[in-house]
Amino acid sequence: MAVFSDTSTLIAGPWRFVPPLVLAAASVYLLLPRPRGRSVLWGAVCGIPAIALGGFVCFRSDGAVFPETFLFYSFSTLAVTGGAVMITQPNPARAAICFALVVMNVCGLFLLQAAPFLMAAVIIIYAGAIIVTFLFVLMLAQPTGFSDADDRSREPFLAAFAGFTLLTAVLLLLDHSYPPVKPFVELLNRVDVARSQDSVAGIRNALGDGQAFLNDLGREFRQAPNQKLGKDWKDAIEDLEPELQKKDDRVDVAALKGHLATLVAVGRDIQKAKEVKPLPAENVAALGRLLYSDYILAVELGGALLLVATIGAIAIAGRKPGRAAT
Amino acid sequence: MIPLSNYLIVGAALFVLGMIGFLTRRNLILMFLCAEMMLQGVTINLVAFARAHGNLHGQVFTLFIITVAACEAALALALILMLYRRGHTLDVSIWQTLREPGQEETVDLDAPPQPPREEPLPHLTPAGTAPPAGDREESYV
Repeated sequence: MAVFSDTSTLIAGPWRFVPPLVLAAASVYLLLPRPRGRSVLWGAVCGIPAIALGGFVCFRSDGAVFPETFLFYSFSTLAVTGGAVMITQPNPARAAICFALVVMNVCGLFLLQAAPFLMAAVIIIYAGAIIVTFLFVLMLAQPTGFSDADDRSREPFLAAFAGFTLLTAVLLLLDHSYPPVKPFVELLNRVDVARSQDSVAGIRNALGDGQAFLNDLGREFRQAPNQKLGKDWKDAIEDLEPELQKKDDRVDVAALKGHLATLVAVGRDIQKAKEVKPLPAENVAALGRLLYSDYILAVELGGALLLVATIGAIAIAGRKPGRAAT
Repeated sequence: MIPLSNYLIVGAALFVLGMIGFLTRRNLILMFLCAEMMLQGVTINLVAFARAHGNLHGQVFTLFIITVAACEAALALALILMLYRRGHTLDVSIWQTLREPGQEETVDLDAPPQPPREEPLPHLTPAGTAPPAGDREESYV
């Protein structure tokens, strides 16, 4: 049993992020181009398990339906893989194509989050315009002299270390601020069962170990989406605690059941507050209405910015280097 | 329903990959593509928050990010063309003269590459007799 609990903390605790992140950092370090040749084989050997393990360890599945989950996993895997191939690819033209792949998969993720207009806009602007222009410049600006700039990377070890340290910090933060919902639901169901018991022994039996139960309640404080609900949850626990710690013959059953009822009510309120609210049905119409009512000033500013950037780009690119020096 | 944190994790991973690429790669165009990838990670976050909160403000914010990214791409391309015309290479490390005063110059640990050896032009052995020197053209017929 001790072994089992050890492995469960290894799977559920914050240390579970270490193996995939170390593997991913090693893979990026090995794959980054360098003059004496990069080791694609070892990079792939580290990278593929890193992505699989990372997906297994990081993602939560809280009662998701099958097609959506499948689409999410495939889009996110392709996006992250494409990004890794892009930054480690010595050939810049292939890297640009990989960036197009990343953009397509990000657009798939947009579609999963009910943003069809953004999906179309991002495909047209990024994959259609920006990447093609970059490819044009890449072909126009073929280096005349011999250069191996694409086969060299600056400080691959330090960059991979710094990047994945940042990713570890972000993952730990996300793990702390978005706790899994499942234990919370199970806890509420347990309280619900205990509330329907008539005797103190029955209630204690349904709740399990008193101190462990109180600890669980305290931990689920993280679930509260705002301060008011968090305070309600804390108050409910504080009301319940003295009643639960009395001896069996001195417990006021009615009062205990009342406290449990309050607890369940607050818990259901928390669940309701965390439910996803529906988005407006007509995405484009609602987006347009919002843009041209609340954000009209920002739209005007964006237009002005585009105009200024166009004039600036023409002014910079149209200048001859000889004349610019004078 | 996919939990919000999953989308945030994908966005963070894309952001970090873009950051590593921006720090390590030396091609100017690739550096800008990496910056765009960091923006993609941010937009995933914004759209996911818009979905979780049930309003469209995050999507509007993403639209403005796309606008700014388009401006940035136009200016970046113009600047890259300008730098290419002056330096005749896309390597960013030839612009080290622009570094701050007091900063050491970055030196590559690996030796710079040898330029490819050019094949020597073939020398033809002279054949026949040299034409006689003189200001009058002679006929041998």
